[in-house]
Amino acid sequence: MPRILTIWLPRWPVQRRLLERPELRRVPVFVCRRERRGVMKLVSWAWAAPPRSPRRGGLPAGNVAMAGRIHASRIHEGMSLAEGMAVLASVYGSRACQVAEVDHDDPLADRAALEELARSCRRFAPIVAVEQPLPGETSRPECLHVDVTGTADFFGGEGPLVRTAVWTLAVRGIHARAAIADTPAAAWAAAHHTDSIPGDPVPAAQSSRGASRRRWAIVPPGGQLRLLGSLPAAALGLGSDVLTQLEGVGVGTIGGIARLPRKSLASRFDPQLSRRLALFTGERAEPLVVPCSAELPTATHAFELPLSLRDTTADDLAAILDRLVEACLGPLAAAGKGVTALQVRLDRSQAIGLGEPSAPMVIDVGLFQPTSCVKHVVELVQLRMARLRLPPEIAAITVDVVSAGQADCRQRTLFGGPAEASAMQVTMLLDRLSGRLGRRAVFEPLPLADAQPEHAWAAVPPLQATRRKTAAVPASLSVRRRGGPRRHDEGFPAIVAAPQRRPIWMLPQPVRLESVVVAAAAETGPAEQPTAVVRPPAGFRLEGRMHEVVKAHGPERIETAWWRGPTVRRDYYVVETSDGGRYWIFRRLGGSRRAGERDDAWFLHGMFS
Amino acid sequence: MVTHGSSGLPAADLLSRHADLLSRQLFGWDAAVRRNWECGRETVSTGFRPLDRLLPAGGARRGSLIEWLAADDASGAVALACAVACRLAGSRTTGDEPVSSAATILVVDRGGRFHPPAVLPWLEQAGSGTGSGRGRPRLVVARPSTFEDELWAIDQALRCPGVAAVLAWPGRVHPTAMRRWQLAARTGGAVGLLVRGLLVRDASGHGLGGHGLGGGRRSESRCEPVHARATHDGPMHVEPTWAEARVAVQPLTPAAAAGEPSTGPSVRRLRLSLVGGPWAGDAMLHERADELFLDMSNGREALGRRRTATVPDAARLREWGREGLECRAS
Repeated sequence: MPRILTIWLPRWPVQRRLLERPELRRVPVFVCRRERRGVMKLVSWAWAAPPRSPRRGGLPAGNVAMAGRIHASRIHEGMSLAEGMAVLASVYGSRACQVAEVDHDDPLADRAALEELARSCRRFAPIVAVEQPLPGETSRPECLHVDVTGTADFFGGEGPLVRTAVWTLAVRGIHARAAIADTPAAAWAAAHHTDSIPGDPVPAAQSSRGASRRRWAIVPPGGQLRLLGSLPAAALGLGSDVLTQLEGVGVGTIGGIARLPRKSLASRFDPQLSRRLALFTGERAEPLVVPCSAELPTATHAFELPLSLRDTTADDLAAILDRLVEACLGPLAAAGKGVTALQVRLDRSQAIGLGEPSAPMVIDVGLFQPTSCVKHVVELVQLRMARLRLPPEIAAITVDVVSAGQADCRQRTLFGGPAEASAMQVTMLLDRLSGRLGRRAVFEPLPLADAQPEHAWAAVPPLQATRRKTAAVPASLSVRRRGGPRRHDEGFPAIVAAPQRRPIWMLPQPVRLESVVVAAAAETGPAEQPTAVVRPPAGFRLEGRMHEVVKAHGPERIETAWWRGPTVRRDYYVVETSDGGRYWIFRRLGGSRRAGERDDAWFLHGMFS
Repeated sequence: MVTHGSSGLPAADLLSRHADLLSRQLFGWDAAVRRNWECGRETVSTGFRPLDRLLPAGGARRGSLIEWLAADDASGAVALACAVACRLAGSRTTGDEPVSSAATILVVDRGGRFHPPAVLPWLEQAGSGTGSGRGRPRLVVARPSTFEDELWAIDQALRCPGVAAVLAWPGRVHPTAMRRWQLAARTGGAVGLLVRGLLVRDASGHGLGGHGLGGGRRSESRCEPVHARATHDGPMHVEPTWAEARVAVQPLTPAAAAGEPSTGPSVRRLRLSLVGGPWAGDAMLHERADELFLDMSNGREALGRRRTATVPDAARLREWGREGLECRAS
């Protein structure tokens, strides 16, 4: 009997964006599709870290958590963006809508990211497939099917396997639910309703909010109808039309559908129903379609006796890795490809006397550009291994290519061109830096046409900034904030055309200046007049030291970002102090739109270092 | 007596002569190697004539380090170092073959305060102004989270032949790390532009608060023993350097520039002082100083400004240069 592990990634379009831009976890994210007459329809939405305290205009604090869950479920796919915003505002207040991030739908990128994740899940079993919509269905894939037939014992059973799968993804910042059953359809249903499955032997995981939520489930062999019969009919993945038909005849659960006479199902209901039921029970086989690039090479070296890493020198290990990596990269190089991500699996040896077998240690290595250089890849693997606590003994080493891309193949000159060599060296340097410092710690700045200094640039992975400038981005796939400016892809935005007014060092958060010496009253004008001309301060105290302002340039008024939250209204000055220092300070003019409201606070935002 | 057939000299004398000749050749090769190390590398103009005059090689020598000592966080040292980095990345030699095709600037920013929009237009102009046809130099930022990662990142970047300049503000570092960077720069050919506080020159650390150069994490930095020497201002502690030059950057106040043309927000007037270099011990007795005007809109020297330089006379300069060459045995 086959066993299938289904990993459900709820709201994958949003999760993918959160992985690329972790800063979006603090705001609600809407992924929309533009339809006729410009109506924006929701494809997916999520708020990874909603506020625990009530927002102005929202519900009281005690009711926010519970009501948030209830109301948030009312925001569903197909709803218009305006309706979704209205529901959001009713729970969290209007400010939640102001800070919300709205992005355009990009199904191709979602699919590509899902396939890459599928390949990285080959640490659990060799056959990993992406959910395929049935013919005639347009549902968006959010699940991975892993054929774990016979492989669960390596992880100590199905319980530890499903638990490991969920937590492995959680470490990478991916929220997932998983279930194991006999068929992909049954596992799909169980993964989508882990909370509703009775008698789940796996202990429930505590969610971050303290509520008990099961993130995994195991359906025993042959028990899908018995255990999942009480699940709603929607757990079969049926369309809304079929569900309406079933509702009309009073059938609302999978068990109820199973009790209907099979012969009349096809004639009385949509053919989709009988097809899904057959897939659920296993009467009809559902093939697992592995992504095409799953034919990427793999190389394994199994030791006759467990290899003690304490007694093994780095050179010996490097020699083995070198051979394995070469075996993987050779076929790719012959096809003009290079590796962009690979996994190195260290299978722990199962010592005698230890009851539960250990899962292999997996080392993920990513590259910014496809490469077929064995030495470079081995160096990256060693760089990662140097920062990990390796198991004392290993039984086998497996190098698995997760993703590959078209390598930049050019005909070599006789002595090698300096430009090509330099470019390659820089790429290798970036791989090394990101391998040790982290993927997000190495980036190229991309200027954005945003007046607010904090959002005037974006950190993009190296080598992508150049591509974004050269490659034309389809209008339907371009990123644009709601009400905000479009990202600049050609040249520099006009806002950056005045770099002399932008500091080289900018503080992450503006620092409020204390003991600001205001200018003479005659220059400042009556304070009660909101339209009075604002003068820069004559001095300010910073870190216990008084700075005397002898010259000031400005003001440069920045009034923007109403779509991100409170409107930013600032008057910036470039001030020169008596000791020659040059600072970038601003006076906050009040964040609300109420006329006449002023805030006299001065802030330091940067230094012309 | 045994004589050599052709020369008629005694064999012992002939051997001695050959040995002398060989030893001279060896010394000659050694000197040539030293010259190649120190002088054979390409020297690129920084784009600022006053700075070129201050630097021992008449410009920035590829494969070397330059230290910039900043009085405080708002002194303009980072801006000047960025401008020099852009110039290095966009430069090419006047010969037929481009010696360096490196067009990457790597900024190691542990504090996370580097604001690229101030520099990106400079890169655009650096790429277009040279006419090299290689496009805009690339700017890559690395943000290590720990001090050890920062040292490692600078070392790796300096070691990479494809990097034109490495810009960092590492705070106080062990001289061994600095020596390692120097060797790494020689290997890769990059120019390390290290902006540091006056802390390395003056142990009292005046003017450096919590936002001081080095990310404000002095507690994590490793304070090293420093050499001491006495000046007219009292005892001054000087940290040894492996850099080609140590340049102190001091912004000139508007009051100091009174009576001179107003600089405005786009021009920065800086006073540069050569306060150290790879001399043996602390033989630096005379500091050289000069002034420059940095155009903040394009990262170049603002021309047409009146400059009041305090440059020593030519004889002292020549003497100093000779001393520097002799002592540069690192």
